[in-house]
Amino acid sequence: MMTRHIITAGTALSLLTVLFTACSTLPVIRPLDAAGTKAAAERCRRPFLDAPHRFVHAIEAGITERSMGTVLGVTLFDPTSGIVRSAILTLEGFVLFDARYDKGVEVFRAVPPFDAPRFGENMMDDIRLIFLAPQGRLLRAGTRENGDIACRYEDPRGQTVDVIVRPDDAWEIVTYGNQNEPLRMVEAFSVKNRIPEAVTLTGFFTVDYKLRLTLVSAEPISPEEVKKH
Amino acid sequence: MTTSLFSHAKMPTCCVSIVLAAMFLSCFPMPGRAASWEEVQKEAAKITSINARFTQSKHMSILARPLISQGRFYFQAPDSVRWEYTSPVKSILLMNRGEIKRYTMGSRGLVEDAAGSLQSMQVVLREISQWSQGRFTENEHFSATLKGGKYPKIILTPKERGMAKMISRIVISLSADRPGVMESVAIFENEGNHTLFAFADVVINTPLDEALFRKSQ
Repeated sequence: MMTRHIITAGTALSLLTVLFTACSTLPVIRPLDAAGTKAAAERCRRPFLDAPHRFVHAIEAGITERSMGTVLGVTLFDPTSGIVRSAILTLEGFVLFDARYDKGVEVFRAVPPFDAPRFGENMMDDIRLIFLAPQGRLLRAGTRENGDIACRYEDPRGQTVDVIVRPDDAWEIVTYGNQNEPLRMVEAFSVKNRIPEAVTLTGFFTVDYKLRLTLVSAEPISPEEVKKH
Repeated sequence: MTTSLFSHAKMPTCCVSIVLAAMFLSCFPMPGRAASWEEVQKEAAKITSINARFTQSKHMSILARPLISQGRFYFQAPDSVRWEYTSPVKSILLMNRGEIKRYTMGSRGLVEDAAGSLQSMQVVLREISQWSQGRFTENEHFSATLKGGKYPKIILTPKERGMAKMISRIVISLSADRPGVMESVAIFENEGNHTLFAFADVVINTPLDEALFRKSQ
């Protein structure tokens, strides 16, 4: 009997959650005058570097804080072509995963369990969200209630992408699904010359997960260097 | 999705254990000119402790310059190890009397890894126990070849196809002009992708504080 009650309560909670997320609305972006809108749209590009770069990060990752593991990540990207090359290494230097994105994902190396279906696609989605400006239509540019500059895009998959830029250049990106449910959130901290010292990415899927990227090095590279890799 | 896999990033066991064992081996004095496996075993038996600084250089085609990691390595016979990275990420692996712990510096400070993620490191202990006795030919994953000459080398090649996909070979170079000293260990994963371990300030057979192998600080 007790079990039945628990199941019933659990089911009710799930239903409430579904109802809540189904009815959830996107955060308000207050409109500005024409000049303000233009300036806000420009400022929303600030988190995304204009030139190709190579980044090395220490990456803490896990489902919960307790299960955080640390790896090294090497990422090359070209904002113009959209090409991304990324590798994940153990601290001992062993390459666990190596892939390239150029309108599609090509995996060069995937050591179990990094060979799981769609791991490459999902990882490239995360990387492109962090480093490349949102694709698709700009729906709105203005300010959040706290005064932060914010822009809302509709990406080609129909998801909503909000980019928020704070006065200290720290920034936040949140993606929402068709029911306005949050899918992923990226937060950048300690931004110097447009490069954040730390970035966190939280995924709100069946199981929430979190990445924390701490900058090891960042350097501009040529478009050819990204292309040849 | 993505990150559920990162919690297993210490895997794959065999590769990590081989990397660690190779690194361990690289600061092990070897007989000059490396005439035979018997000599290697004889020299290995003389080692009671090692204390060395190391530099790990990761070479990849996508890196303009190698990715450098540095740290310190301690070994106390028969199987106590402290493998400590000081940069770019502070990380300490302790092995002592069959107990294995790893601490990594992150957003919450220096935190001990979950116990489950280290069960696989028992393999490392087994490898180290074998290699510390100079028993390189008994490795279940790699065949060992000893090459003499002016620049002696030990070359380890994978026995299984699955392993060969991950590590193509390990080349341990012995010093040409300093008999008994290792020059470097290179672990080749595939074309344009290898890791080089180099050791400096190697001190052998001096007493080490037992706490080094128990405490992260």
